[in-house]
Amino acid sequence: MSLVKVSDLSVSFTTERGQLKAVRNVSLSLDAGESLGIVGESGSGKTVMSRAIMGLLPGTATRTGSVTYEGQELVGKPDSDVRQLFGTGMAMIFQDPMTALNPVRRIGTQVEESLRVRLGMDKAAARARATELLELVRIPDAQQTLRKYPYQLSGGMRQRVMIAIAISCNPKMLFADEPTTALDVTVQAQVLNIIDDLRKDLNTGMILVTHDLGVVAGHTDRIGVMYAGQLVELAPTTELFANMKMPYTEALLKSIPRLETPTGARLPVIEGRMPDPTKDEPGCPFASRCPYATDKCRAEAPPFVEGTPGHFYRCWFPLGGAQ
Amino acid sequence: MKKQIGYWISAAWLTFVVFLAIFGQWLPLWDWEEPDYDHVGQTPFTSWKHPLGTDGNGMDIFSGLVQGARVTVLVAVASVVIGGIIGSALGISAAYFRGKFDAFMNIIFSVVLSIPNLVLSLSLVSILAYSDEDRPTTDTRRIMVLILSLTIVIIPILGRIARATALQWANREFVTASRSMGTRNLRIIKEHIVPNVAPAILAIAFLAVGVVIIAEGSLAVLGVGVPNGKSWGSQLANAVIDIEFYPQSVYIPALFIAATVIAVNYFGDYVRRSLDRRESKI
Repeated sequence: MSLVKVSDLSVSFTTERGQLKAVRNVSLSLDAGESLGIVGESGSGKTVMSRAIMGLLPGTATRTGSVTYEGQELVGKPDSDVRQLFGTGMAMIFQDPMTALNPVRRIGTQVEESLRVRLGMDKAAARARATELLELVRIPDAQQTLRKYPYQLSGGMRQRVMIAIAISCNPKMLFADEPTTALDVTVQAQVLNIIDDLRKDLNTGMILVTHDLGVVAGHTDRIGVMYAGQLVELAPTTELFANMKMPYTEALLKSIPRLETPTGARLPVIEGRMPDPTKDEPGCPFASRCPYATDKCRAEAPPFVEGTPGHFYRCWFPLGGAQ
Repeated sequence: MKKQIGYWISAAWLTFVVFLAIFGQWLPLWDWEEPDYDHVGQTPFTSWKHPLGTDGNGMDIFSGLVQGARVTVLVAVASVVIGGIIGSALGISAAYFRGKFDAFMNIIFSVVLSIPNLVLSLSLVSILAYSDEDRPTTDTRRIMVLILSLTIVIIPILGRIARATALQWANREFVTASRSMGTRNLRIIKEHIVPNVAPAILAIAFLAVGVVIIAEGSLAVLGVGVPNGKSWGSQLANAVIDIEFYPQSVYIPALFIAATVIAVNYFGDYVRRSLDRRESKI
């Protein structure tokens, strides 16, 4: 049985311009210990989707569909029941290390909070475990750091503190929401390696949300590509890079700057913009930007089909032809 | 930040007033209820026996002020603390939970704020602590009702501030982060919102103390405050008829009230300024 199963998940926000559909009918599942990458451009619904799975959306959001964790349905379950799964079952590493720590509380208090609340440890045990956690995420001088306030730490150190908090209760499922975007490249690699090591030790499943294809390539078993709130391609990592079906995935990959690009040349971009999320337009949402689009693409939305086993895509004319 | 001279003056004055309020009853002073018929209407600063002079009945003004400090400080602090706690609790929960409760609290705050506070206190005191020759009411009851009515005035003032400040913090990422680890709402409010909101409330609470002292004085002048010269306001109110002959019995209590209100305002400003500096640092 899969650890987390999402079917037909949709999220919409009530705004002045009407219902903004941030996530549209996403279905996916994840096994214990498996790592799934979610990629897509800004505003494609990656972050909203990962938060919707945990149920951490603001009050203006409506969530429909079904999310199960170890067979338990989470949608419509009272908050107090879902809370029992947080920390020990599911945990999240947040995007921005500058805002995800309380500025007026010491690091120690914040790391120990979940240990005491969720695991019922006493003060001394929580302090000992917090020191251990900070050492685990390779923060030098853990004891000293526990007494500091967030503003006394650098971005990379805060990010590590957040990882330490997320893994403090040994979660079975980790959501990593762009855990490295706020960091520079050298620290990025370190942080990702730390997460990988910890996951292997605890057999934790992970959904890694990022817009950096380089990051997902090395750290995931499968990749889902999101566009305009939809999952448009889902395949094992090696299969996706070797045999991509979606023109959008191809366009994303092409827009990565390469070493052999001549100096001063314009960086490749995907022309145009994503469709307005408050409107429901017929056809494939990528049609207006797709170099291969035909009248059929503009008129009718393609279904999410399984080409080869485990490789899903949403396109009438997949690259390399339909199998 | 170097503390300015005004800070030290305000701090010294407030310490003095609070000291009088707490320990004044044990100081070797002239009995405040005992007239001294040999020195009626004595000018201030002319004798050690009555340092601030006496009024038209030979009552010692300083002793009266010491007694008044007790009631005035009690009324001001009690109504701001009680009103502040209730107001902050309502305002912070409204900001945290939003939805219907928030909308409801917003309406309640607006309605209460729209009633002029003197009118509100005036009607509450005259209904709940009505007093005439046939049915006299006790001073304690008067003071209680006064505190109650001023508390009601304070609740929406501090509630609004608490709500507005808490709104800025309630949607911060660290609140979601704490929620994602399974922390209960009450604990999130206690651990993550209150410490961030408290300084702003504290700054306004000082200003509210000033508002309450003025309101207490105004009610006394209108004849519904604490009777019998037991507070600064009522001392001033009692002496108004004598202003022509014994001006000291009016201007000295008035100066005490003014100095105290200026001091709490200055102090509130100081707290707000240090808060701004802290905000820019974190």
